[in-house]
Parts: sequence; structure tokens; C-alpha cells
Amino acid sequence: MLSVRDLTRVYDTTTVLDGVSFDVRPGRMTGFVGANGAGKTTTMRIIVGVLAATRGSVTWDGAPIGAEQRRRIGYMPEERGLYPKMKVLDQLVFFGRLHGMDTAAAAARAHDLLDRLGLDERAGDVLETLSLGNQQRVQIAAALVHSPDALVMDEPFSGLDPIAVDSMVSLLRDEVSPQMPVLFSSHQLELVENLCDDLVILSRGRLVASGAVDDLRGRHAVRYRVVLTGGADAGTLRDVPQLSVLDAQGAEALVEIIDGTPEKALEIIQGTAQVAEFARVVRPLAQIYREAVR
Amino acid sequence: MSSSTRSTPVWRIVAEREFTTKIRDKTFIGATIFTLLFLVGFFVIGSFVEGRSDDFDVAVVGSADTALVEQAETVLQADSPDGSITVEEVDDADAAEALVRAGDVDAAVVSGEDGYELVGDDDVDTGLRVALTTAVAQDVLEENAAAQDVDLEALNEGTTLAVRLLDENADQSGARGVVAFAFALVFFMTALGFGMSIAQSVTQEKESRVVEILAAAVPIRALLWGKIIGNTLLALGQVVLIVLVGLVGLAVTGRRELLSGITWAALWYVAFFVLGFLALAALWSVAGSLASRQEDLQSTTMPGQLILIIPYFVSVMASDKVQTVVSMLPIVSTMIMPGRMAQGDVPWWQVAVAILATLAAAVVFVRVGSRLYERTLLRTGGRIRYRDAFRLSA
Repeated sequence: MLSVRDLTRVYDTTTVLDGVSFDVRPGRMTGFVGANGAGKTTTMRIIVGVLAATRGSVTWDGAPIGAEQRRRIGYMPEERGLYPKMKVLDQLVFFGRLHGMDTAAAAARAHDLLDRLGLDERAGDVLETLSLGNQQRVQIAAALVHSPDALVMDEPFSGLDPIAVDSMVSLLRDEVSPQMPVLFSSHQLELVENLCDDLVILSRGRLVASGAVDDLRGRHAVRYRVVLTGGADAGTLRDVPQLSVLDAQGAEALVEIIDGTPEKALEIIQGTAQVAEFARVVRPLAQIYREAVR
Repeated sequence: MSSSTRSTPVWRIVAEREFTTKIRDKTFIGATIFTLLFLVGFFVIGSFVEGRSDDFDVAVVGSADTALVEQAETVLQADSPDGSITVEEVDDADAAEALVRAGDVDAAVVSGEDGYELVGDDDVDTGLRVALTTAVAQDVLEENAAAQDVDLEALNEGTTLAVRLLDENADQSGARGVVAFAFALVFFMTALGFGMSIAQSVTQEKESRVVEILAAAVPIRALLWGKIIGNTLLALGQVVLIVLVGLVGLAVTGRRELLSGITWAALWYVAFFVLGFLALAALWSVAGSLASRQEDLQSTTMPGQLILIIPYFVSVMASDKVQTVVSMLPIVSTMIMPGRMAQGDVPWWQVAVAILATLAAAVVFVRVGSRLYERTLLRTGGRIRYRDAFRLSA
């Protein structure tokens, strides 16, 4: 498990990261969200060791992380970085070797990754001749080439078309082993929602929420959508003491149950009007996020 | 957590990348080929110019005078060891004249009633004329002496003017001066060219952000060493090639005397070159890591450029005394000391001081350089001043 504890970073007088602690659990995808300037990139750079923390620690299985363990992390920085004038395969082999692989193993692995990303026929091309989307795929391959023990990826999907995102996601799912912690930041909340098991939310340098996505959802009262028929006004549900009506428009209302089970609530509603629909609302991540950072 | 057995050290992987990238770079290949062609051209033109003045063809009538011309060749070679006279035997004086007119021979020696006649087209080379005149005079003198029954040896006793040169290399001082200048120029050009390319490659890594991945994967110090070693090997390879072509050129064009005089200096030059280059390489890397964009390099490489330009002008312009002193300073020594050694004897202690000073400078520069490099490599968003870089914490 990869953990950060009380991570703080101060630039001159500005505190960009303030006492952040969270865990990145193995075998699970942890989504890292927050507005621009919330401190996501700073956190990730401290984890991989290219930036020093002013205070706090990064630990691997409970012990402070060392250089050798950091070398086993696959890192994809926010500002993509590869050698523009180097051939794709040479580049991946170079990074593989820097991470301790021998040339033959690195080349075999690079071919395999390029093949799965649909880029094998471009292996001999100079990187800058590839489209931006393809360069990004190579970037992912560079982060994965040494079969890392953990993955830290800053906005790995930004700038990709939906099909490229799909192929990248399926590659990631193949690569993530049950022992492997994966942390990735993203602005695309729907994507995080589909992909992530855990969530870490930062706002202005502080941690506002972290944990399993399901738990975060469950932390708030479950909501139900009620649709009435027969010309009934959903606004009348405000008179039901067991319900809290969050929103009502025409025949439709969004309610939380204050008292009793959903079955009981439905019974009560059916006592006042004819019900066309009574359904649990799965709150989108965007909403959890907005509420958390509010 | 699986631990990997690292077969190749990081600095070697980085050095290999520097090496292979550069050696495939068309600009680099072009520049190297151009330098070598320039050098070869220099020798070709040189030997062409000199070859005309020292190798002669002379026509003689019948075989009788062949010995005379051979004697003249001996005289000629006393002055220019590489000179030669080739004898062309013809049937009569008219044929000899025809050859001269056609330009097939430089001159013809024809014996008439009043003695020998030297026939030339519009001019006869002074060296050739002196050699033939001496040979004829000696030959005829011997004949006359025999006819008059005179003891020629007794007559010639004490007439020779022996020549003793106080500076026996003086006749080559021009050529040796050129060699010394070439030493300084080649180091200046190579160190500047490679220096700028080291700085550029560091800045490029910063600009393309690849440095972020590199720094996450390996120690920054290993990156620096890889860069320094890779580029030093390349520069060394280039300079060894240039020196070899130069020495072979001297050998092929028959300047053996000059060659034997400067071979040691050339070998020392290679040693000085490596040390001087090594000392500077770290500084160039820092220049690269202080910059955030290629445009910043103009100002951040200024100290490196000055360290090369000032000694270069000193080596070209300064007086002997100044040169003697500064030739012991680090980096300056690479440009001046081998040149001094090519031009004459240099006391061994001066060479030792120069080597030790450059070694010490290399150690200091690499140490300070790697500290500055580590501190500044990951900082982006503007040029960093040297002064600020010293104050930064990691």
C-alpha cells in the first residue's frame, strides 16, 4: 500500500499542500480529483520523488519509501515528457533500461505494449512524427514498460478521444495486478466514476474526502425520484412528514427519506397519490465532488 | 516488492543514449566530415605547392651527363631533404630544347664548345640552378685540376663554410606555429561546439519535460555523469580522429622531421583535451539546467563561452612570457601548453603543474556543477541566475 501522511508543501509563503493524508490501496484504482491548483500534481510529484515535501511522509507498506521502491513506480507526469527526436521503440527501451531491465527484455516488453496500443508499426518512427494522441499512448507505454509495482498518473486521459480512452483503460485494467496501487488524477469525472474504486478529493491544498466511491456515496442520505400520475402535484409531498422534498416540479420530485424504510415511504406516498415511478437515485460523482469541495 | 538486478549502471545507459543520439545526428556527422576534409585539403594543397618547387625533371644529352645531374641532386638535397631531380636522357640538344619548350622538363643541361649551358623555358628555379651550377663547377674543376696536375683537395682545404644553427628547429618554426595554432583552434571549436550541445540537450530535456520521468526513475547525479561521459568520449573520438589525420597527413606529405618534433606534443594534447573538456562539461550541463527554454541558453552559457574565448585569444596574441605563465592554468593549458610543447622544449614541471591544475579544476567543477545541476534541473518557469542557483536548497 502506498500512503501519504500529513503531506505539506510550502513555496515561499504560499502553502500549496496542507497536511494531506490518504492511502492508495493495492489492486484498486484510486481517482484523484480536485480543481486546478488544488495540489494534485504537487502531491504526485512528491510521491515519485521529484519534489521534496516541506513536511510529511510518503510510505510504502508502512515504511518510508526509498529510492529503489520509487524506481519501481510507473510515473506519467502531467506535462508529458519524452524525447521528441528519438524513435518510439528506442525511447521505451531506454526507459526500461533506466528502470533496471536489460535491453532484450525491455525491447520485448515495449513491442508488446505498442502492439496492445495499436502502435507496433510505428515503433521505428521518430516520436514527434506521431499525432498527439499517439504520443500520449507512447507516454503510457513509457510508464508501464518496466512492469511497475505501482502507478502514479497525472491526467493520463486528457486530450484523448473516447476510443483512445477505451483502449487505454482496457490496457490499464490488464496491467493492474491485485498487488498494485494505482493513483490517477483526472478532470473527467464520468471517467473516474467508471474506472475508480477509491476516490481522493482535494480542495485548495486540503483533503476534503477520501475512501471507496460507494462509501462516499453512502455517506449522504439516499435520494429517490418520485413521479406521480393522474395530474397530481408533486409539491404536495412536502406535506408528508417522513419525507424531505429537495426539488419538486410538476409531477416529479426528488426526495430524501427522513424516517422509515423506502417501502414504508412508498406506502405513504401511494396513500396520497398515484405513483408512476419510485426509484433510487445513484448520485453522480460530480455531485459528490461538488458537495465535498463546497 | 520485486527487486531488480541492475546489469548496467545508469550513467552508462545515459552515456550510451547521448553517444548514439549524437553519432546519428546529421549535423554532427557533417561537421566532423567537414573538419577532416578541410584538414586533408590543407595537406593536399600544401604538398602541391611545395612539390612543385622541390621536384625537378632535367633533360641531358646522352648518358654522359647523367652523373652530373645526380651530383646536382645531392647538392639540392643538402638544402631541401625531400627534393629530387629526375634525369631525362635525349639524343641531341634540339630534342632537349623541345622538351623544355613543351614543359615536359624543368630545364636541360647541354654541353657546348664553351662548356655547359643550362636551358630553361622562361625561368629556371633558383634552387635547381644553384645545384646544377655547383655540380658543374665541381665536376669541371675536378677535370681541370687533373689536367693541370693540381691537388684539388689541398686547394680546397678550409674553403668549406660549415653551418651550425643555434635553434635547429628554426626552419620549422613557421610550421610548428601553425600546429600550435591548430591545437588551440581545434580545442576551442570542439569544446564550444560540444559544450553548447550538452547545454542544449539538458535544456531540451527540461523543455520536453522528459526530465520529470528521468528524475523519478534515477538519481539526477547519474544523469549528469552519463551526459558528461558520453559527450567527453565523443569529443575525444573526434579529436583523436583529427590528430590522427593530421599526423598521417604530415607523414604522407613527407614532413617527417616536423612529424617527429610534434608527435609527443600531439599525444599530450589529447590528454590535456580530455581533462580540459571534462572540467568544462559539468559547467555546460549547469548552463543547460539553469535555462528553461533554448532562448535562455544565450545568457546561461556565457561563462562557459568566456572561459574558452579569453584563453583562445591569449593563445593567439599574448607574448611568450604571458603564454608561459597562463599555459599552466586549467583549461587555458589545453589551448596553449601542447602548442608550446610543439614549438620547443617545455620544462617538465610546467607540464606537471598544468596537468595537476586542470585535474583539480575538473574535480571542483564537476562537484560544484553536479550540486547546481541537482538543484536547478527540475525548476522550470524561467531562467535561473548562477548567483541564485548557489543559494537554492534542494
